[in-house]
Amino acid sequence: MNAARVMAIFEKDLKEFTKNTTILFTPFITIILAIIYSRMETGDGLPLIVVYAIVGITYASVTSGVMMILMAEENEKKTLRGLIMSPASYVEILLGKSLVTALMTFITLIISFIIMESTNMIDIQQIIGLLVLFFFFLFLGIAVGLFVKSVGMTTVYLMPIMFIFGFTSMIEFLGFSPDSIVIKITDYMPIPQLVAMGETESWSAIGIVLIWTIVAGLLAFVCFQKVKKDRA
Amino acid sequence: MSNCIEITALQKTFGTKTAIADISLQIKEGEIFGLLGPSGAGKTTMIKMLTGELNKTAGDIRVLGSTPDKFHQTSFKSQIGLLSDNSVLYERLTVYDNLKLFAKLYNAPLNRIDEMLEMIDMLDAKKKVVSKLSKGMKQRILLAKALIHRPKLIFLDEPTSALDPGNVAQIHRVLQKLNEAGSTIFINTHNMEEATTLCDRVAFLHEGEIKECDTPENLRYQYSSHMFYVETFDGEIIQLPNESESADKIASLIKTGTVKAIQTDNPTLGDIFIKITGKELV
Repeated sequence: MNAARVMAIFEKDLKEFTKNTTILFTPFITIILAIIYSRMETGDGLPLIVVYAIVGITYASVTSGVMMILMAEENEKKTLRGLIMSPASYVEILLGKSLVTALMTFITLIISFIIMESTNMIDIQQIIGLLVLFFFFLFLGIAVGLFVKSVGMTTVYLMPIMFIFGFTSMIEFLGFSPDSIVIKITDYMPIPQLVAMGETESWSAIGIVLIWTIVAGLLAFVCFQKVKKDRA
Repeated sequence: MSNCIEITALQKTFGTKTAIADISLQIKEGEIFGLLGPSGAGKTTMIKMLTGELNKTAGDIRVLGSTPDKFHQTSFKSQIGLLSDNSVLYERLTVYDNLKLFAKLYNAPLNRIDEMLEMIDMLDAKKKVVSKLSKGMKQRILLAKALIHRPKLIFLDEPTSALDPGNVAQIHRVLQKLNEAGSTIFINTHNMEEATTLCDRVAFLHEGEIKECDTPENLRYQYSSHMFYVETFDGEIIQLPNESESADKIASLIKTGTVKAIQTDNPTLGDIFIKITGKELV
């Protein structure tokens, strides 16, 4: 792998990002929500479930959302072809593009955590969990970005990702009984697993999130193979 | 001079449709080779197979000594320059930022950017955003992008399609300069003038098959009627074969002062294509 090529793609995407209004304001949604949630705080600190709702929204809208828009735009405008035909490998292209998403995600997350005064809940276990979760949402974004034919189509996929994977920690507020099948299923989703990990300090949650990440990684790989096959 | 591209019994099918049917070709190092044919003849498919963008169905390809399984390698891609009708720039970025990206991807020094912009006569547009440029200017930048790493072999797919004569002449000057510096150029075109001006050798591609392959001069001679056309002041046109006996007849006509003009039959590449295929090059 050539670091100069990865950085060249990162630099290009960073410049494009500052000029792309579609994605430029995405992080503000999370930050504004973090401000609103922080006002609800009653003195004992925000519940973990609310903090992870912000994490979920950040990962769904910034990590998955921006990644899928970046990939879909390259696909739609045929600029991806130029990168593929250059000496840059697929891994270098994806890594270069993921760096911008990673930078935006973690800046958004840190600002939100500071606003919510939740930095004290971050320990090494949580950091590992958040990193694994980042890759889960990143792979989802790559998969959808490679799969869709236009930027417009990404919204069709972004909404389900947002509600199924981003808002899962909030699902209990919909009034389901704790014994209902919906709650039982959502308990195994990545975000509720990390909420549970924060409450129980059990490492098994990271294992389950890791399985989700591997599945998302395989999905991204399949979509990648499809793009390569389409070219043949 | 060794062969830069070697194609043997190449075939490409898409389902039941044959795009390329049994083509064999050799292109020498330093040559400007033109593949001529109408839209849908298989020219783009050919370039895509030669650059590793499409897999062949059958036959052998060797480009710069590499077989298609090596076409994805960095060492191979670094020797190839490609400008196709699908080539695009990042519209939100400046000309400089676009070229800088590709200079870095190809590990070319950044001072090459100014060099290339000077070559295409666009140094003053360096800081302009690509979306503000005209089609002709964008095409020249795309050419600079394809050449920034000084490739040994350049593939051009309809490089001057729908451009004004000024931009066409500029692109031709750049290509001639590159060829003089030793680059081999493979150009797809349906522009006969372009092929005649630029190419050392041309091949006519029709329905996936090469119908003719030679220098433009040889083809024009081969397909001429080998006749002299003597036009008199009376409006009469006398046809004489290109043989020694005709010399006396032409001389006597000139002596009588009746000759208005003498012409030879010199078909264009477009005329030859129509003669061979019965179809026009559009």
